[in-house]
Amino acid sequence: MGSPSQDERYHQAAAEYGAALERLARAYEFDPDRRRDLLQEIHLALWRSFALFDGRCSPRTWVYRVAHNTAVSYGIGRRRSGDRNLVSLEEVEPTLGDRDADETASRRQALERLTELIQSLKSLDRQVILSYLEGMDAAQIGEITGLAAGSVATKIHRIKTVLAKRFTEGANHAG
Amino acid sequence: MPDEFPQDDYCNAWQNQPVENITMSLEEIRRRAGKFQRRIWWRNAREYAAIVVVVIVFGLYMKWFPNPIMRAGSVITIAGALYVAYQLHRRVSSETAPAAAEFEQCLGFHRHALERQRDALEDIWTWYLGPFIPGLVVFSAGMAIAAPIPFRHRVLATAIMLAAIGVVFWLVAQMNRRAARKLQTKIDQLKALEQ
Repeated sequence: MGSPSQDERYHQAAAEYGAALERLARAYEFDPDRRRDLLQEIHLALWRSFALFDGRCSPRTWVYRVAHNTAVSYGIGRRRSGDRNLVSLEEVEPTLGDRDADETASRRQALERLTELIQSLKSLDRQVILSYLEGMDAAQIGEITGLAAGSVATKIHRIKTVLAKRFTEGANHAG
Repeated sequence: MPDEFPQDDYCNAWQNQPVENITMSLEEIRRRAGKFQRRIWWRNAREYAAIVVVVIVFGLYMKWFPNPIMRAGSVITIAGALYVAYQLHRRVSSETAPAAAEFEQCLGFHRHALERQRDALEDIWTWYLGPFIPGLVVFSAGMAIAAPIPFRHRVLATAIMLAAIGVVFWLVAQMNRRAARKLQTKIDQLKALEQ
């Protein structure tokens, strides 16, 4: 079970993207035990998927697609609630206000709030913001998500606005 | 639109956060792969349980009721149940095809999953409800003929029974159609994002 190339590809991917996959799992699951379960599901899906890897996209794109799709399926299977209680980037912006500006912006707190923000987003917006935070360019984000270039640009613009309002203003206020 | 986004503070903070470096050995992965297969097997078993009940019940009817029309109705119902089982198997197999298409683009992955659900809901008459109808009609007709009651009462009882079955089936179909419409709205939204 599992060809050598499948095992090898998985090893390479796990070594190269292991930390990014942990961050991705953190963005999808708050509870530490469930997050560990999700991460294991992602590793399993990744290993299975490499049996079919055909090089049509880069290994990085492949890894992120598998990871996001597994995380979304895991969430749906656990909650059976789809996108209920989740918001879009468009809905996040108006909620910004004094509370955010008043909070101190230490690095740890900022990271916690950033994680909370990501976890509150609908799956597609979550995929875009995570890809953005992992330093991907617009083309890579489009390749992973399947979003049109215009949609990626719009979402990135919104992400930047949200992050700037939520964190930069908070930091300035605290400073 | 710029090709590259600047590595600003949020990106640095996100990428440099501490991680546990959780890894999995290939042995552990293979063990979980086996567990995954067993989970799929039990999920499928639950799907088929209702079919097995129908086959057992109508199999017993064939033994209990000597009336040939009722027996014929039982045989047709069992055949219908087996056809539904085949359809379930076909649909479940396509869902668990290699790696479950986990490597699709995320948007396409969502859309295809929703489209599969929508199709299954929309086609409920052809693959789930419809195959039971011929057998149930023949079985009901057999009951009407065999029942030791006046002809008028037989016709009335059969009509009521078939009407009750029809109403239940119609309600099930309506619920599924409504769910399919909701899914279609989501599918349209995703399609718009792909263009």
